[in-house]
Parts: sequence; C-alpha cells; structure tokens
Amino acid sequence: MLEIAELRKVYESPNRSVEAIRSLTFSVGAGELVCVVGPSGCGKTTLLRSIAGLLPVSGGQVRVAGVPVTGPPPRMAVVFQEYGRSLFPWMTVRQNVELPLKEKRVPRPRRLELVRESLESVGLTDAADAHPWQLSGGMQQRVAIARAVAYEPQVLLMDEPFAAVDAQTRADLEDLILALWRDLGVTILFVTHDIDEAVYLGQRVIVLSSSPTVIMEDLKIDLPAQRDQLTTRSLPRFGELRGHIYERIQRAREAR
Amino acid sequence: MKAGVRGKAGVRVVRLFGLPVLLVLGWWLVSGRSFYLPDPVRVARAFGQTWFSARVFDDVLPSIGRLLAGYALATVLGVGLGVPIGLSPRLRATLEPVLEFFRAIPPPVLVPLLMLLAGIDTPMKVLVIVSGCVWPILLNTVEGVRALDEVLADTCRMYGVHGATRLRRFVLRGASPQIMAGLRQALSIGIILMVISEMFASSSGLGFTIVLFQRQFQIAEMWSGILLLGLIGLTLSLLFRFVERRVLSWYYGAGAARA
Amino acid sequence: MRRLLYGLAGLAGLLALLEAVPRLGLVDERFLPPASRILGTLAGQLVTAELWLALGETVLGWALGLAIAFCLAVAAGVVIGIVPGLRAATHSTVEFLRPIPSVALVPLATLLYGPSLGSTLLLVVYASFWQVLIQVLYGVAAVDPVAYDTARSYGLSSWSRVRHLVWPTALPYVMTGLRLAAAVAFILAVTAELVIGSPGLGAEIQVAQNSGAVPTVYALIVLAGLVGIGVNAAVRLLERRVLSWHPAVRSEAGT
Repeated sequence: MLEIAELRKVYESPNRSVEAIRSLTFSVGAGELVCVVGPSGCGKTTLLRSIAGLLPVSGGQVRVAGVPVTGPPPRMAVVFQEYGRSLFPWMTVRQNVELPLKEKRVPRPRRLELVRESLESVGLTDAADAHPWQLSGGMQQRVAIARAVAYEPQVLLMDEPFAAVDAQTRADLEDLILALWRDLGVTILFVTHDIDEAVYLGQRVIVLSSSPTVIMEDLKIDLPAQRDQLTTRSLPRFGELRGHIYERIQRAREAR
Repeated sequence: MKAGVRGKAGVRVVRLFGLPVLLVLGWWLVSGRSFYLPDPVRVARAFGQTWFSARVFDDVLPSIGRLLAGYALATVLGVGLGVPIGLSPRLRATLEPVLEFFRAIPPPVLVPLLMLLAGIDTPMKVLVIVSGCVWPILLNTVEGVRALDEVLADTCRMYGVHGATRLRRFVLRGASPQIMAGLRQALSIGIILMVISEMFASSSGLGFTIVLFQRQFQIAEMWSGILLLGLIGLTLSLLFRFVERRVLSWYYGAGAARA
Repeated sequence: MRRLLYGLAGLAGLLALLEAVPRLGLVDERFLPPASRILGTLAGQLVTAELWLALGETVLGWALGLAIAFCLAVAAGVVIGIVPGLRAATHSTVEFLRPIPSVALVPLATLLYGPSLGSTLLLVVYASFWQVLIQVLYGVAAVDPVAYDTARSYGLSSWSRVRHLVWPTALPYVMTGLRLAAAVAFILAVTAELVIGSPGLGAEIQVAQNSGAVPTVYALIVLAGLVGIGVNAAVRLLERRVLSWHPAVRSEAGT
C-alpha cells in the first residue's frame, strides 16, 4: 500500500545544506499498522511530511497504492501533533469534520452520515456543535481523528498525535486508534518518540537512526493481536521488545 | 437583599453618569466667562435647531454616505490586494518598501492632489477616504495572511481544501483578527478624511457646515457640530465593536480558553 | 540581502511607472508630472531655507504636541489606574470622548489660535492623548495583583509602588501607545497646517496647490511620506532602546 524507496531529503539554503534523511526504504502492507520510532531530532516529522506529499523530496520515491506521490495523495489523511492548530477555531466540531467531505463533493446525505458515524466512533456525538477550543486537548485530538476517519482514507498518517496529552488520555486514545484500525481496515503509519507506545500499537516497529537518518531495524512485534493496556504491557515479551528498541536508540544517539 | 440589588444598580448609575454630569455642570459654570464657550443649554438648543432639519438630508447623510462608500471601496481594495501580497513572499518583499512609503504619507495631504486629479465633487471626496483607509486595511491583511498557521495550511492541503473554499474558509477567516484591526484603524482615519475633504472648496457636508458656522461666529451651532461629529464617531465605533464581536467571537473564545 | 534586492526592484518599478504614465500620455503631465521631475523639484526645494523652516515647524508641532499629550496621558492613566474606583467612574467618559474625531476641533482651534502653532498643538494633543491613555490603562491593569499586594504588605509607599512595580509593568504598553500616538500626531500636525494654515509642511503644500505648482505639490507629498517613515523609524528605535532590558521583549526575541 505504502512504498518508500531510497527516500532522501536535504534542506538546501544559500549558505549550507543539511542532510536530514540519508536513505530510507521500507513498505507498509494494506491494512497494516506500523510505528516509526527514533531519537529526538531524527527527522521523523520530515519523513512523515515527505510521505504526505507536503514536502518535496531530494531523492527516491514514495508510492501510495502504486502511484508516485507528488502532492498530497487523494486518499490519505494526516493527524498532526499540534491538535490545537490543526482544527479550524472558527468552525464547530461538526464543520471541521464536514469541510473535507464538502470539498470532495460527497453528497449531502452521505456526508451527514459520515460525520455522525465518525463523531460517534470517537465518542464526541454530544460535542458536535461546540468549537474546538471549548474542548480539552484529548477531545480536540479526537476531533482530528474523527475528521481523518470521515475522510475514508486508505492510508492514515499520524505524527506524534498523543505527545501533548496527559497519560490517562493518551492510553484511551491509543485504544481508540487500535479499535478504529480493526474496524476500518485502514493502513496506518504512526510516528512517535515513545517506545512503549510504538510496541503497544504496532504490528511492526521501524527504528530510525539520528540524522542523517537511516533505518536501524525493522522489527516485527510478535505480541498477541488482541491488546489491552494492562495485560499487554505486563507481558514479559513486551518488556523484551521495549528493552531491545531502547538499546538500539541509545546506540544511535551515542553514534552521533 | 433587595436593598443590596438596588444599591448595586445605584453604584452603576453613578459610575456611568457621575463624571459626565459633573463635567457638564463644570462646563455650565465656566461657560459665561468666554465668548467662545456658550452654556450647555444653548448648545443643546442649537443642536436641535441645526441638525433636526433639512440639514440631515443635505449635509449629514451625504457625508456619512460618502464615508461608507469610501470605506467599503477601501475594504474591497485593501483585502483584495492584501491577500495575494500576503500569500506570495516574493511579491511581499518587492512591494513592502513601496507600501511602507504610501502608508507613511499623512492621508490629508492627498486632498490637494486629488482635487487636482478628480475635481471637488463627490468622486474626489470618496477617493480621499479610500486613499487614506486602504493602507491600514491592506497592510494588516498582508500581516494576517502572512501569519496564517502552517499546520492549518498543511491540513488544508492534506484534505484537498483549495481554491475558493480555501480562501473563504481558511485564509480570510484566519486573517480576520488582523483584518478587523486594520478596519478599526481605517474607520477613525475615514471619519477624519470625511471631515477634511469637505473643508476644502466644498459647499455642503458636515465639515463644510461646521467651518461655515465658525466663520460666521455662530458659536453655539459650531459646538453642536462638534458634538454631532463626536456622536457619529461614537456610534460608528459602537457599531464596529458590535460587528467585531460577532465576526471574531471564535477568536475571543479561543483566546479566553488559552488564558 | 535578497529581500533588499526585491524591495529595491519594487521601488524602481514604482518610479518607472510614475515616469512612464505621464510620458506616454496616459495621464496629463499637468496633473501627474513624471517621477524624474517630481524628484528634481524635491531636490530643488531641499536647498531652500523656507522648506527647512517649514519642516522644522512641522516637526516642532509634532514633537511638542506628542510630548505634552504623552505626559498628560501617562499621569492621568497612572492615577486613574491605581486609585480604586476611579477607573470605573471615568470609563463612560473616556469611551465617549475617545472616538470624537480630532478634526472636529478644527473650527475651535481656528477661533482660539488662528493659523499658528497653538492650533497644531490643540489637534495633536487631543488626538495623541487618547492613544497613550488607553495603553497606559491596559498597562496598569496588567500589574499582577499578587505582586501589588506583596508590595503593599512590605509597606512600600504609593510612590515607590508606582516607581518600581506599576511603571515597569506598564512600560511596554506605554511604548506601544507612544508609537501609535506618534503616527497619529504626525497626521494631525500636517492636517492643522493644511486646513488651518499653521506654518509648516502642510501649509506649503496648500500654497503650492493654490499657485498651481503641481510638481511642487507632489514633491512635498513625497517629502511628507519620507518624514513619516522617519518618524515611525525613530519611535520604533526608541521603543527598542527603552525596552531592551524588559523580560517581555527578551522572551519575544527568544521564541
């Protein structure tokens, strides 16, 4: 579904050029949930923006369902880290979710249905007519997720979506993502700096080096498919995987 | 309980009207001493006689009409030009010094110039108002569009929001706090220019009438004119605030939520 | 560097446009002389003593009026801000007087002072007073009540409370007020000269227009624009100087 081949990104400015990503090659199969972790400043956001078609790449290629990415692909949605800035403050929750659908010219009855279903799936039916800034941070991120879900994407990109919410909310949102992923069969690429989160959510975890970025490891997470916060996180295997990734990242930081 | 409520209302009344009443009383006390300062009663009488007459239709309403026409034109022009300039860094870098220069010209000096180019009738007066109002609107629009949130811009791109919808739902709304700030500055400049444009070679309008009273030493009438201009200024600024509160309700709400 | 080049290109474009339009006959040269002639006239004017005298008068009216308004507004603002109840009592009056366009006072100024510096000062002071006052009121309201109570509990006198707590907190607001007032004051100074005939740049423009010296009108308007830029730049420089130590400015620069 998602193929990244020898992706390279160099930031050019008149005085100097900075190599952010050296070479990345990996793919994400249809319906897979893959997490990307790496030390801070390793170009995770650059990678995600390149895949999303928001940033021109310096070399290599990104393909979504076989089609090379040159701009934002039509059936891809992104949930940004800055929930407070990715929602339109002058629109209600409902209008925020509805706007992309209007732009896609989804007929009105279907549109209303999608909005209703997606808000229901994130548990925000009652907040539909509120403005985003009247909601808590976690609820705002739910709105952003509902907007992505209503868009009916093939691929959902998430850029450290829960980095700015408190621990309890974060656990709830992680389970929400798992539930939506199972129900919708959507392909998800989830970028995070939190190793626990990556292991808990992912079927695979891709570990990145520090900048200029290469892939350190592409790790299959062999935990039971059914996950929940308490039992999954207390499995011995969970601890092993987490320790393994932690060690790789430590090494990546020292190598710098 | 009841006394308390009444007491509170009393305090409010005193706060609202206490000082104005004192000031009018003070005015009344000193008014006899100077030829140039008639007492409030005479001014009030002159106000009724002067402005509740055909002058409303001959002078006051045409003046306000020109102000609103010029203001509306300046808004269309300022926002219309400000959006593309704000969206394009290159255009902005090119035009910035030119715009800074035009903004720095005190608008009233354009009156003699525009009289030369457009005569002394309504078009000149409207043009004067446009030429003064357009700069704060334009520059604030540029600033507002330039400072649009990047994450929101990415969101628009990602979800295929483009063209007219992007302009209406994202660019104009996102820049609206700045645009409103520009419109507020433009409003006070517009009133100034409305008056000044009528003080030159004019035969009607508020500015003309007030200067005429002054030349004919109709002092009470002159004061009533000053009072009328004050009331117009106050009314327009209250109207503006009303509109602003509506347009920017999300902005104040979001600001309060953040604080 | 690149920005500078673009900016220069923009200015060059404006000059070229102003040169071409009258030369090509799109607008009658009598009404819009070519840019070269406007600038030539300006250069010619700049070597005359009258122009510098007029410029001096304008700057004097601007600076003096601004200074008077500033002192009055700061004093009034601090007193209104810190004396309990005064703010509420004056609110309606301030809100009524503030939107009165200062040009409404033109006839009064003409009666009282005629075409002289006094007229300029009346208009300039009235217009700039409100700009500063409003900002001072915001600034005094921004004083942290806890800090204020702390100062009181340590027995600081009213004067040292103002000196060490209220004034430093309000200073950024005061400077904003000064910046806004400076621009308004310049507009009103020129207006008084233009409309009432007080000596200065505005009066020169009026004279030039009456005698049909069109290039001179344009040249003086360009000069007024340049002075306006100078006024804005000077006040901004002052603002940065005065506030360089201020935490609000430093954190703004840091982010």
